[in-house]
Amino acid sequence: MPLTPQRRFVTPEPDETVEHLAARALPGEALEGAVERIKGWNLHIFAMRRPRGLLLGSDVVFVEPPQA
Amino acid sequence: MYDILIRGGLVVDGSGAPGHLADVAVKDGRIAAVGANLPGEALQVIEAGGQVVAPGFIDPHTHFDVQLLWDGAARPALEHGITSIVPGNCSLSLAPLKAGDRAGLIGMFQQIEELPPEAFTQAFEWTWEDFAGYRAALEKSLSINVAPLVGHSVIRLWVMGADAQQRAARPDEIVAMQDLLRECLQAGAVGLSTSFVDVDEKARPVPSRFAQFDELDALCAVLGEFGRMLQIVPEFYDTDITIARIDQLAELSLKHGIPTTFSPVFDSHLTPQAAPRQLARVAEQFARGARVWPQMQTRPIDISFSLLRPSLFFARLPTWMRTLRLPLDERMAALKDPATADRLVTDAGPDGGARLMGDLIARGGDAIPPAFAGRTLGEIAAERGEVPARTLITLSVEHGLDVAFLAANRGHDRTDRIGPMLADPLVHIGASDGGAHIASFATYGDTGFLFSEYVRKAGVLTLEAAVKKITSDTAAIWGLKDRGSLTPGYAADIVVFDAATIGRGEERPVFDMPGDGMRYVRDSVGIDTVVVNGEVAWAKGEYSGSASGEICGIA
Repeated sequence: MPLTPQRRFVTPEPDETVEHLAARALPGEALEGAVERIKGWNLHIFAMRRPRGLLLGSDVVFVEPPQA
Repeated sequence: MYDILIRGGLVVDGSGAPGHLADVAVKDGRIAAVGANLPGEALQVIEAGGQVVAPGFIDPHTHFDVQLLWDGAARPALEHGITSIVPGNCSLSLAPLKAGDRAGLIGMFQQIEELPPEAFTQAFEWTWEDFAGYRAALEKSLSINVAPLVGHSVIRLWVMGADAQQRAARPDEIVAMQDLLRECLQAGAVGLSTSFVDVDEKARPVPSRFAQFDELDALCAVLGEFGRMLQIVPEFYDTDITIARIDQLAELSLKHGIPTTFSPVFDSHLTPQAAPRQLARVAEQFARGARVWPQMQTRPIDISFSLLRPSLFFARLPTWMRTLRLPLDERMAALKDPATADRLVTDAGPDGGARLMGDLIARGGDAIPPAFAGRTLGEIAAERGEVPARTLITLSVEHGLDVAFLAANRGHDRTDRIGPMLADPLVHIGASDGGAHIASFATYGDTGFLFSEYVRKAGVLTLEAAVKKITSDTAAIWGLKDRGSLTPGYAADIVVFDAATIGRGEERPVFDMPGDGMRYVRDSVGIDTVVVNGEVAWAKGEYSGSASGEICGIA
């Protein structure tokens, strides 16, 4: 039985920056915009966490917005 | 000659089958026979007429790791009918741990369990480093059975030292972690726990959160050699992330042939679709053959606190938490300092804490003046012409900080919604957190509440189904050998209780932790006798002083 589609995500690579992750996850998009989109879709990392934006190896990083 | 004969009770054997009147005989720590009017004599006869005789309850999510070293009964868990517990959850265990890393681990444990520092410095002699040594220390005086997990964070600490809280592991370090985990499993650990949310006392993520997925995958390969459990605590506050974790667990379960479990699943007022969505995903993954057991607690979320000590209530208010971690005299001075108080009030929110704190209830029983007891902080604040956060500070300072507040029913309190979820065969009843958050709420009595609320009041579970949920189901999920059933040959873990009255007592503060530390507890209600491995451990309100508990074997 196929799984219901859920929000796609990636996990950070060792020592990966948000810029590198954004380029990897959203290829073809302008880097600045890709970074902003990644940040906006992952407030648990880029808004709620202290220090803000600290990427951890175990993180779930969404690469698309919440489903309607 | 039997050791114990429990006569004439309604035997609810854990299978879910209808209860039947019978005797239960015990010999050499095992169930010897179950049947009507069993012949033969016994050293001890327990008359159980009018009561239920069931397998001892199993609590799969506790943090009794430390308490067990001075209290082998994990009081008051045992008197609630709990005969087996799983400590070591959420990535933290007391072994394996090098002596030099103890201070760091104590900070993490204090953050999660709210134990006083004296619990680690005065209550036991810390003699071990490896898991076998911790097991040996535990086994000296257990009244309750223990199925310990080993924590991912301490495994990282052992192999990586301070780097465990800073970076990803190298391939050679992952191999070393695998070897260490294997050693722990061989020494009796029932599985591995990890956490994606916990922080230490300095608000830094615990070591397990720095692990890449390939590290967790490698550790699960070792769990697969033994068929043992992976427990995680996901980002339960966000449904999409929790579903991502469910999918990760499913992949690990399928790849390595292991059971996995996550906790907690809360039914939230703010996000009512959260729990149903998570359970729907679990069902999809079970249909693929994965084993991803969601743990759901029975009790509503209540948090009590005073400014005498840090509390879970302030977990998302770091300024408050830092202030409450100051030594008492410094803390009092800080709270009296106008600038500090202003900052705290500001940090409570633009509404002065009205949303977060306005419905707090001033509890009786401490230094609260009678005129305030039972009223909301919002009402008291309005009378004083203050915002709630200001009143929380001023009222506390006026009474030596010894004023307790209750944040009642903060979620998971809709019986009509939670009952059907608890009854779902794929939902694992657990997540009590026994022995943790001790200064914030009582983590005891969830099993009694299961019967009082969901069997008697709501009728959503039969007596037999409820017993099955917290006995044989739990034993099967975790692979606990010969437990959870009143079957001849099984361990004689037995609870005798009154189905008409079993429940939980009122939450009350006690000061029985080392260093006169405070915790909230609930007394048992309706429990008559608790037998652990064939010895009466608690009966009619009294602990027997038995030491028949053991480390649970794995099937």
